[in-house]
Amino acid sequence: MRARIVQGEDVLKIVDLLRQDHEVYAPFYGRGRDSYFDVVTDTNRDRIQIHVPNPYYPPKRFLLPHIERLLRIRQEAGDWKLEPEYNQVRRAIFGIRSCDVAGINHLDRYFLGRGFRDIYYEQRRRLLFLVNVVCTDPEADIDKSCYCPCADTGPAARGHFDLQLMDLGGEFMAVAGSEAGEKLFTHPIFKKGTPAHVDRRREILDTIRRQFKATTSWFSAAVRYISQGKVLDKIWEEVGIRCLECGGCTFVCPACTCFTVSDRRLSDVEVERVRIWDACALTGYTRMAGGFNPRKAVHDRRNRRFFRKLAHYFMQRELSMACVGCGRCAAVCHGDVGMPSVVEMIRRTTAAKEPHELVRA
Amino acid sequence: MSWFEPDNIYRPKIAILDRVVDEIAEVKTFFWHFKNPADQEAFRHFRPGQFAQVSIFGTGEFPASLPPSPTETETFFTIRQVGSVTAALHQFKPGAQFGVRGPYGNGFPMESYQGQNLVFVAGGIGLIPLRSGIVYALKNREKYGRIQIFYGSRNPRDLMYLTSLQEWQKADGFECHLTVDRADASWSGNVGVVGGLFKKPGVSIPVENTTAFVCGPPVMFRFVIKDLVAMGFKDHQIVSTLERYMKCGVGKCGHCCIGVAYVCLDGPVFTYEQIQKLGEDI
Ligand SMILES: Cc1cc2nc3c(=O)[nH]c(=O)nc-3n(C[C@H](O)[C@H](O)[C@H](O)COP(=O)(O)OP(=O)(O)OC[C@H]3O[C@@H](n4cnc5c(N)ncnc54)[C@H](O)[C@@H]3O)c2cc1C
Ligand code: SF4
Ligand code: FES
Repeated sequence: MRARIVQGEDVLKIVDLLRQDHEVYAPFYGRGRDSYFDVVTDTNRDRIQIHVPNPYYPPKRFLLPHIERLLRIRQEAGDWKLEPEYNQVRRAIFGIRSCDVAGINHLDRYFLGRGFRDIYYEQRRRLLFLVNVVCTDPEADIDKSCYCPCADTGPAARGHFDLQLMDLGGEFMAVAGSEAGEKLFTHPIFKKGTPAHVDRRREILDTIRRQFKATTSWFSAAVRYISQGKVLDKIWEEVGIRCLECGGCTFVCPACTCFTVSDRRLSDVEVERVRIWDACALTGYTRMAGGFNPRKAVHDRRNRRFFRKLAHYFMQRELSMACVGCGRCAAVCHGDVGMPSVVEMIRRTTAAKEPHELVRA
Repeated sequence: MSWFEPDNIYRPKIAILDRVVDEIAEVKTFFWHFKNPADQEAFRHFRPGQFAQVSIFGTGEFPASLPPSPTETETFFTIRQVGSVTAALHQFKPGAQFGVRGPYGNGFPMESYQGQNLVFVAGGIGLIPLRSGIVYALKNREKYGRIQIFYGSRNPRDLMYLTSLQEWQKADGFECHLTVDRADASWSGNVGVVGGLFKKPGVSIPVENTTAFVCGPPVMFRFVIKDLVAMGFKDHQIVSTLERYMKCGVGKCGHCCIGVAYVCLDGPVFTYEQIQKLGEDI
């Protein structure tokens, strides 16, 4: 991967460059510490935040919108005409965090791999440019729920971006992750770096890795226990009791993929078929015609989310993990059964029961 | 649609309803063909046990087994009216248009059963997903050993595909045993659960080199499995089809995922051995 140096005052010029042929989204502050991705305009351009808490509304919506039209279905003289609509808009996300880059990689594997390709996803992905910003500010960038070092997705993504920016203090190191990213380097704001820059990058990464508040999430132990079916039922029951069934964890998750499909009438002769984000936490998710629901108890459904994300079988199937350590679910869950807490619950309780376990609970 | 085809996996092809046949109460068979002959040709090569996604535009989509065998010329679905989408289809008259995409799922590996005896055990509308395998086996009669059907329903009026059953019975080396839970004046045959047929005088079921297909309501499924295992059937000799809430049929929406399997991709056909390893109640 090739790297260049960009001066601090020039960094937003990358946004300007991208805006020439992309709809660019970047992070902004809301009223307080809340943040969100919005389209960059001439008016808000100077308010773009480089160091900012990662917005809860995950960037997966640029690939799998909350509600997406799949087909326009029209009746004409008795015949049904189906018109698929594909995305034509070239978009760029400036300031996507490393965890979310890994989330998009997971979505790529899920929607484009495994036999059937999802053309709606593909059309959006093909036109999406990712500018990853490495989290280096322990105050603004790193939340107490973040645990990418444990999920091995950050703080610096190792791939799947077009351009990666890392703040070296007053200047940024830009790394190209794709041909399209490298093409930007022809612009004069990108200057050659020195070995000192590379050393500086390494130092900053070494320091920042130690500044995470909650890095110990014992993923590997939880993966092993779940894959081997060793997790005690009482843990799932406990998780079930604490789950309020709001579905929030799945909606903020950059790696959750479930959707439902619904037909909506637009007029007497026209219908649209849409897909809408769905959540395995919700009761209706597995309910079949006639009312039979194989996953009736709330803990069966909570179990589902963690099984789907942590069972070794699925990682093998997708060659990526459905949790990237962004910590969003931990931050939004009212019952404190986000991923890090549940992993911890699994490890503690199961380890205590395991005769050969060296880690004391 | 073939693997890896960069096609729109959610886009149904237009189908036209030819005729409707009443089967039993609330169950009808819908004969149809694709509007575009190329779609019909592409669809022909399905495997017994696969399913398709049926679209009633404006109401929704649902999964339905393919009861015809690929060796038959007509395509049809047999559908019970349960909810909104199936009810809409039940209102359809010949000439009406709807959407079909598929075939999906793994289907029964009929080739790998060559040289084996086949035992089909069905309860109620569980005969729908088995029909394809039965017709396929009869068409390729010389490839298989003994073929037996054990079929039961609540009462005589709930027995499905009766004309087909009578026709199949004429085939060489084909046994068909029917039973009902409750007889009425019209019924002079067996009375009792399907499993009771296994012990009927004159019935012998080969266990060695046999595959048993079991489809029916959950209670019937559990009892029949118990009976088969008691007879000496190993878990891998028993196959069934699972039914799950489905939205996409192509492994993307997540709804059908049970334990470690996606029913729409890895199923709907599973051996009893696999079912037990899924890690979730069925
Ligand atoms: C592989 C497979 C094969 C099937 N084959 C047949 C068949 O040959 N004949 C038949 O009569 N029925 C079959 N079913 C069951 C049939 O799909 C449901 O009865 C049907 O979806 C109910 O739809 P509805 O809209 O009338 O009910 P509603 O309750 O209104 O359901 C609305 C939507 O929920 C989903 N849904 C509800 N119940 C089920 C279910 N049991 N399975 C899957 N999705 C569901 C569907 O997407 C449906 O469109 C099969 C199911 C599966 C999974
Ligand atoms: S499970 Fe939680 S921590 Fe993991 S990627 Fe999803 S929202 Fe982030
Ligand atoms: S039906 Fe959508 S994943 Fe199987």
